Amino acid sequence: MTQEIITVRNTSIVLGEKTILENITCSISAGEFVGIIGPNGAGKSTLLLALRGFVPLSAGEVQLAGRPITTLSDKELARHVAYMQQEVNVGFGFTALEVVLTGRYPYLKWWQHEQAEDKAIAHRYMEFTGVEALADKSVHLMSGGEKQRVLLAKVLAQETPLIFLDEPTASLDLVYQEEIFRYCQLITKQGKTVLIVAHDLKLAAKFCSRLLLLAENTMIADGPPETVITKENLQAAYGLHAAVFMNKVTGNLDIHTYAANDDNPNKDTNVHIICGGGSGEKIIRLLYEKGYRLTLGVIQPGDADANAAEAFHLPCLLGQPFSSIDELSAQENRRKISEADWVVLSDLTYGEQNIDNLQAAFMAKKLIVIEDTPIEKRDFLEGQAIELYTKLVEMPQVTVMTFPQFITSLEKH
Amino acid sequence: MRETILTKTQGNRAKKAWKIMIVLSILLLGMIVFSISWGTITVPWEDTVAIIGQHVPVISGYFPSVNAEFQAVVWNIRLPRVLVGVLVGAALGVSGAVMQGVFGNPLADPGIIGVSGGASFGAVTAIALGFTSLSIFIMPVFALVGALAAVSATVFLSMSRGKIPVMTLLLSGVAVSMLMGALTSGILTLMNEYRVREYLFWVVGGLDYRRWEHVYLAVGPILIGLIILCLLARHLNVLVLGEQEARSVGVPVVALRLLLLFVAAATTAMAVCVSGTIGFVGLIVPHIMRIIVGPEHRWLLPSSALAGALFLVFCDTLGRMIFPPNEIRVGIMTALLGAPYFLYLLRKTQQSGGIS
Repeated sequence: MTQEIITVRNTSIVLGEKTILENITCSISAGEFVGIIGPNGAGKSTLLLALRGFVPLSAGEVQLAGRPITTLSDKELARHVAYMQQEVNVGFGFTALEVVLTGRYPYLKWWQHEQAEDKAIAHRYMEFTGVEALADKSVHLMSGGEKQRVLLAKVLAQETPLIFLDEPTASLDLVYQEEIFRYCQLITKQGKTVLIVAHDLKLAAKFCSRLLLLAENTMIADGPPETVITKENLQAAYGLHAAVFMNKVTGNLDIHTYAANDDNPNKDTNVHIICGGGSGEKIIRLLYEKGYRLTLGVIQPGDADANAAEAFHLPCLLGQPFSSIDELSAQENRRKISEADWVVLSDLTYGEQNIDNLQAAFMAKKLIVIEDTPIEKRDFLEGQAIELYTKLVEMPQVTVMTFPQFITSLEKH
Repeated sequence: MRETILTKTQGNRAKKAWKIMIVLSILLLGMIVFSISWGTITVPWEDTVAIIGQHVPVISGYFPSVNAEFQAVVWNIRLPRVLVGVLVGAALGVSGAVMQGVFGNPLADPGIIGVSGGASFGAVTAIALGFTSLSIFIMPVFALVGALAAVSATVFLSMSRGKIPVMTLLLSGVAVSMLMGALTSGILTLMNEYRVREYLFWVVGGLDYRRWEHVYLAVGPILIGLIILCLLARHLNVLVLGEQEARSVGVPVVALRLLLLFVAAATTAMAVCVSGTIGFVGLIVPHIMRIIVGPEHRWLLPSSALAGALFLVFCDTLGRMIFPPNEIRVGIMTALLGAPYFLYLLRKTQQSGGIS
């Protein structure tokens, strides 16, 4: 059974004259790991501040565990939500333990000192985030990663059902960034709810169970990462042209972004790419970014080029694994080649399975042959490919060039 | 096994703080006895101890009697002077530490941010209006009002977008201090009973001619102020981590800041009433103690009280020893020792670009 822990209803925030957020509605259940994403200035941090009660709402309502936030006292709020801000400057040389112990503040009466139990709690969470050994070290002498882990231990020592983190990874190396997300994921598995403002979409998509995408003062998407991180949403929020795909190597959602080109002059040019074995990846990326309408073939399933095609959602003729190109694919390939305005033949290595691709290339109206490696080194058919290739490059419609030359020739277009 | 190691490191640090405080207490007692014994009339230290001991109930019978001249010098002249020094030193040391915490700035000090100047102005106003004869509490109340007015002015002048930068705090403090000093001098000049000694007292504080009535006036309020501040030490720890951090663990930041500032200003004002304005004690003492015992205010505040008392009595004794029978006022001595340290700190803060 899931329990609703945060309820946000038609909330708007106006600071001074400026509307920061408008009409936000969402509800978050216990155990969720929520990433708040969006471009700079979209109001991510402000939303988090408002949910903690640090920023007054100009409209709507925020409830924590069923109680309106405005009815909670300072200490009650601190027992519900632990909040980690972006940059903390720990001055005066406090030690890690002293900083972590401040997390126990909401539980102490004003005249009380920390009890043995509070110290045990502090040590437990420092052990969890791996800073136990640094307990007596001054925080201002620590590295960024150590400091963030101390502050995370402090936030955990507050023992709240809700944990808010405002870009905790902003100043960290890649390794530590992942680490913080991983700790948060562990915490949510223990039943706590984590809200994190993240600027790294890939990390957020990898670890969070749910994403809120903010842009232009409102929430434009809310749901599991794969429904939020889409080409359309990224375009709407960031004005980014992006390809979103499952990275086969890491198993994570991956994003490839490129410069926006709104009045695309190449959108009606059909280009067919004959490639395989990873020889086509960079050609595919280059032509995709230039906005050409691409088709690919014939490629073996699971091949690096096939993955690239999938990443960019390109139509791609796939053959059978570990066998020669079948009749149907061969025909379809020839049709695509003859229909295309021009065709690119990549720096392929030829064998029994793909020699038909070389034969099909003769059908092209206009053919660009990319040659970075001499054909002699790419023939595994004892001269059969060399013979065909030599014939092909002598055809009048064929231009041979290296990949760098290809880039230059595209620039001139 | 691991548990024991942990509690040990915790215990060690507490033990270290206790050791430092015990050492400071012993040094302070030694300094007090030395300061009372030394002078134009030198009293043997055993006699000093005996004279003080005779006035302590229960154990008074154990001390031998001492001649009347020594009695008079020690009990009526030197002891009250030293006690006022102890109270004022403790008050300034703790107030300085608290203000540094509240402003998040190691250069804050009751003298530098104008609190002492304001208190001085308030006290002089009370004297000039002739109110001091009405009640002994009139002067402290005026001093407190002056101190609060001065600190409000400094904070108001230096606050920009909710923050108080080091440099503007210092500059506003200087401006407010100078204004308060000018007003104080102006009033003193207009007063009929204007004397150089009076003037010196309020502008460069001193402990000369301090009697038991001064001790009685200051002891209650200063001790109460110190106790309140020490009780709030844990809250100050959280406050020092920054406003947002403090708010996120549920500290009522604004109320706590105002309370701390009010109590620290009141304690300082009380000290100013009996000693005039003595600078730099609240700056040097907490800074050195922070290096020795660390920033944890539950240790820092009590040890700053002891160290402040020790430093002030030391400066006063030194001032009496350099050109006997002439005295160098304790306010001059603290400034001579404190100003170079202040400049060193300022330079260090500038170089590191922030709080060290």
